[in-house]
Amino acid sequence: MKSETGFDHALFDRFPTKDERPEAEEEELKRIWCAPKGWEYLTVVNNNYVGIYYLGTAFLFFLLAGVLGLLMRVQLAAPLMHVLPQATYNQVFTMHGTVMMFLFAVPMVEAAGVLLLPQMLAARDLPFPRLSAYAFWAYAVGGLAFFGSLFIGLAPDGGWFMYPPLTSKAFSPGINTDFWLLGIGFIEISAIAGAIEIIVGVLRHRAPGMSLDKMPIFAWAMLVFAVMIVIAFPSVILATLLLEIERAFNWPFFDATRGGDPLLWQHLFWFFGHPEVYIIFLPAAGMMSMIIPTVARAELVGYRLIVLAMVATGFISFGVWAHHMFATGLPPMTAGFFSAASMAVSLPAGIQVFSWIATFAVGKPRFNTPGLFAMGSVVIFVSGGLTGVMVALVPFDWQVHDTYFIVAHLHYVLIGGMVFPLFAAMYYWIPMVSRRPLSERWGRWIFGLMFAGMNIAFMPMHLSGLMGMPRRVYTYLPGSGWDVLNLVSTLGAFMLAAGVLLFLIDMARNFRLAPDDGEAGNVFGAGTLEWLPTALYSTRSIPVVRSREPLWDDPSISDNVEQGRYFLPRSATGRRETIVTSPLLAEPQYLQIMPGPSFWPFAAALLTAGFFLALTVQAYLFAGVSAVLGVLAVIRWLSETDIRVPEREVDIGAGIRVPTYATGPQTHGWWAMTILLIVLGMIFAMALFGLAFLWSNQPSFWTKPPALSGAVPLALGYVAIVIAAGATRLLHRRGAVWAVVPVIAAAALAPVLLWLDIGVWLKTLAPDASGQGAAVYALLTLQGMIVGIAALMALYLGWRKMRGLIVDGASNTLDLVCMFTAYVGAQGLVATLFARAIGA
Amino acid sequence: MKTWAILLGGLLVWAVHFFGLYAIAEFAPSRMLTVILTVPCLAAEALLLIYALRLDRDEAFTRWRRSVAVGGTGLGLVAVLWQALPPWFSG
Repeated sequence: MKSETGFDHALFDRFPTKDERPEAEEEELKRIWCAPKGWEYLTVVNNNYVGIYYLGTAFLFFLLAGVLGLLMRVQLAAPLMHVLPQATYNQVFTMHGTVMMFLFAVPMVEAAGVLLLPQMLAARDLPFPRLSAYAFWAYAVGGLAFFGSLFIGLAPDGGWFMYPPLTSKAFSPGINTDFWLLGIGFIEISAIAGAIEIIVGVLRHRAPGMSLDKMPIFAWAMLVFAVMIVIAFPSVILATLLLEIERAFNWPFFDATRGGDPLLWQHLFWFFGHPEVYIIFLPAAGMMSMIIPTVARAELVGYRLIVLAMVATGFISFGVWAHHMFATGLPPMTAGFFSAASMAVSLPAGIQVFSWIATFAVGKPRFNTPGLFAMGSVVIFVSGGLTGVMVALVPFDWQVHDTYFIVAHLHYVLIGGMVFPLFAAMYYWIPMVSRRPLSERWGRWIFGLMFAGMNIAFMPMHLSGLMGMPRRVYTYLPGSGWDVLNLVSTLGAFMLAAGVLLFLIDMARNFRLAPDDGEAGNVFGAGTLEWLPTALYSTRSIPVVRSREPLWDDPSISDNVEQGRYFLPRSATGRRETIVTSPLLAEPQYLQIMPGPSFWPFAAALLTAGFFLALTVQAYLFAGVSAVLGVLAVIRWLSETDIRVPEREVDIGAGIRVPTYATGPQTHGWWAMTILLIVLGMIFAMALFGLAFLWSNQPSFWTKPPALSGAVPLALGYVAIVIAAGATRLLHRRGAVWAVVPVIAAAALAPVLLWLDIGVWLKTLAPDASGQGAAVYALLTLQGMIVGIAALMALYLGWRKMRGLIVDGASNTLDLVCMFTAYVGAQGLVATLFARAIGA
Repeated sequence: MKTWAILLGGLLVWAVHFFGLYAIAEFAPSRMLTVILTVPCLAAEALLLIYALRLDRDEAFTRWRRSVAVGGTGLGLVAVLWQALPPWFSG
């Protein structure tokens, strides 16, 4: 086989090895990956714990948001009910949607990735365990604080999409909206951290031999999911930042009377908001594609087509955002493009559905609980998909826009596309982490109640919507013809809730967490690697993967893995470690030394949450203190990473040796920084779009920008920053002791250039003068943020240099600081020129 | 990078075409501009499809890569054509 990295694939034939492994090796693994005790549960970073924490918290938010849904249904059960006051109802429906989308759906699938992926890929853990812990704690603390706003009457009340001008200071003067803007912006940062972890994990931590064509379909789904987060979420982060700035400093991004445009918010929000649906659906579809072959006892039909469908969904879902805006008066040509794309995106989803049906058809399906939930999911999702094609047609969308028809459609899609697969997944994978599986008998009742309840609750909403019942109304008059339909919907909602309640009881009866050992195991007879015997260190040895269902194709693989006859049967360096493999063919490249438990990610998450919360309640001193301490906590956390061990090269099994430290584009750190820069680049690109959009839509408010020729010195300065960052890396590789000087000087030059640029603009335009002014200063603000981060990174690099931690001819810390600084130069250059070129 | 370009090429062309169409509709609506954008995109898809069909299929991985690439460029070709139709049916 042609190699990707020069690795000889014939070496894989040495496995499984024949020799007996000493028992002490396993004891050492257990010692290194030991379970936490007492307070250590707060500092744990192992995916077996963080994944469970994550799942539990996300499910808690599902229950909380579900209760809010029930409250709404009680209020709407009959005309003129007085269960919830109007203002409270507004907060309840806003929080129901927001919590379901931001605090349940995305974190839940991300959590499933954190828990399942290392086992599926046979890695010891994901590449940045401390980042996982930070992402979880930030999400949990931020989410609970956000939800708590409901109990003090300060919950947001502008709908889960927070459209201005309703959410502008003029119409929403309280801090309710700020809770949403700062809370969601913060939680999305946590989601992006998780996405970086998942992308690098899937591409670089697969078991040797697990080439892309042998990757479990769930890993494919999570890869596409995480890439979509990286592309989509920056848009909502920027949108929340801009609206918060507008509210706090009166910069009119979305004020049409001052050269802003409220439609800019809708573009930014829905560029995130519609892909969000597929971001939720794809991992759930990945779960379905794992569960159905096991349930049907047959290989998945059309593996290649499903991979293609997932990737195509990822692409096309970014071409449908404006179908949420058909009623805003889009130009006919624009509406036509988005209508066409909205119809096209149903094709890849259809490919997956047909594949599942075909797998059921060719196999011998068992109608157990995961199977029932999977089949129920197909029925519900297809129903929601069909109404989706209907609303993709502009004239039909105009008729049903903002009616209960849309409420029915979106619940069919999201419950069929995510909630039912999730329940199937819980019944399917709980034996992997629990001493006992959940009850089959109870499971069937739960499925029956949930399936019937879901349809009874949401099917009538199609009719009430077609009869004209608008969304988000807190009551209605009798005699409108909606009474019976709403009563039936409420009964169905309680039936659905009864199913969930039974599930909780079933969990209480049977779920007994066994992260270390003693789990129920492969009760469904699945064929993928997560069903290998595992402990906290994952599998005893990391197998060579030769097919997509290794447990079906090699019945002895479990025994051989357990007896240490594959890769890394022991700890090669006495630390936590895993093998980093190449992205396409999964050839072993180097051994990654993984960080262990730490208090600092937890502290950093608490302080970050404290910073955002303090900003929301306008406690600026507390916010400042939290920010400073948060930065110190992150630096302390980082100071324990990027270390070298005495062993430069180690045997990872069967005499195959790999280095314990690597630098440059092949490393997992380089990949993570590249993804982070893509996130920053997307935020920046969206800000550029905002400026161009306002120029196109509000030309009468445009002020002639400063001359482009006057920006030449600034542009040269930014080019110099890029060159200095590159030169530092080159000099360091050549052994120059003073190599860090150019990049530190570049980081010092960046704020000077920014200061000069701001000075030029202040002579032309104030940030609160017009939409243009606001958008230009938003670009400068974004530049200011990354300039500040680059300065911190330069200080950190200097500190490591003085401590003697940057030695030899290569260093990951130095590489990453250089990459970031170069990006600062490049973004500054583009911002300087673009802001002057638009409308010149 | 080469393998990723092979796997994603067809859909990347679709993305370029779609966002190009959006820019045209938003900033300078014109049927002729949509044609000027669509023709090279269709040509690119066709060339990518021919390239994908000629790829090696001597090993399991290369066979898989080829079939995904052919599917992606085929889908991209149809999707570009589909995406270019609305201007001819709207007012």
